[in-house]
Amino acid sequence: MTTDFTELQLDALRELANIGSGNAATALAQMLGREVELAVPRALALPLADAVDAVGPADASRSAVVLPIFGDLDAIVLLLFSDLDAAALCGLLGVEAGTEWGDSALGEIGNILGTSYINALATLAGVAIEPRPPHVVTDMLGAIVASLLTETAGETDVALVLDSELDVQGVACSMSFLLLPTAGGVAELLERLGMG
Amino acid sequence: MGELAASASADEELVSIGLGSCIGLTLIDRARPVAALAHVMLPDSAAAADGAPGKYADRAVPALIEAAEELGARRLRLEAVIVGGAQMFTLGNGSALDVGARNTAAVRGALAAARIPLRAERTGGSRGRTVRVHVGDARVTVKEAGGTDVPLFGGQVPAARRTTRAGAR
Repeated sequence: MTTDFTELQLDALRELANIGSGNAATALAQMLGREVELAVPRALALPLADAVDAVGPADASRSAVVLPIFGDLDAIVLLLFSDLDAAALCGLLGVEAGTEWGDSALGEIGNILGTSYINALATLAGVAIEPRPPHVVTDMLGAIVASLLTETAGETDVALVLDSELDVQGVACSMSFLLLPTAGGVAELLERLGMG
Repeated sequence: MGELAASASADEELVSIGLGSCIGLTLIDRARPVAALAHVMLPDSAAAADGAPGKYADRAVPALIEAAEELGARRLRLEAVIVGGAQMFTLGNGSALDVGARNTAAVRGALAAARIPLRAERTGGSRGRTVRVHVGDARVTVKEAGGTDVPLFGGQVPAARRTTRAGAR
């Protein structure tokens, strides 16, 4: 695959992210019984190091839900919560953040949102994909994102990040929602969209 | 991130923040003192198009040596400290993709090839880390996620060891 994408391809990927995260936002709204607002997604194709910087400050503490997906398209779905957002979300679900129950609740949210997101993707692009069980960690943002991107980049130096923000209305709770496709996964996705 | 820095200024600090599977690779000449730090992301540069040598284990070591020497370090006095190489996630796709362990192995190999002794390391595990190199007193400290800076290396110049270097060549 080539290392750079055309504007048209990035637009298509951004639209895909928009629809996927729209689906995820709907699922979250139903689960919480609150409105969820969705910011316009970004599609970033950058060298690894710049992609890590673009996601946020490297030393910020984040809770991350990592949902590997595999099938016709290999990728990682990543949800990121600041400590405050994780606490707010756990509060809405009646569990305490930073405990086993809190992590389990975040994992389950990741599972539901991630599955909604990739279901939209699967339908749109006509790919068969499945999620693996979620993995929850709390660590430095840079460490989380760099570790995942070096896996998905598969030793190339280009990372593709589809990045959306979900904001739960009425409480101070937002989260970042990222799709990190593998190098082969992006090519497959564009191919299916007729933009390869 | 993926960068390389060197300094001989006593009041400077070189920092790599948020090392997960990446490695903060420090070369230090404690007698000057001069320090150089690279943020290594991947084990080898074979598949890479761009030129940032700090990003790859195989190219970072020679690039650091050069950067340190330019600031007056002596190659024979260089010592290495490595931090990072964690496996933060077990993604259920087998162990073949453990970039952290492969980065660690690649950096160790590149140091051995350049005959630079590895004096201290904090590698492996599953937590992110931040490494700080305090140039003036040639000290390296490391902080794990949620923790505080703890000393890992340096502070004093062991004059005797520098001249003997038993087994290093």
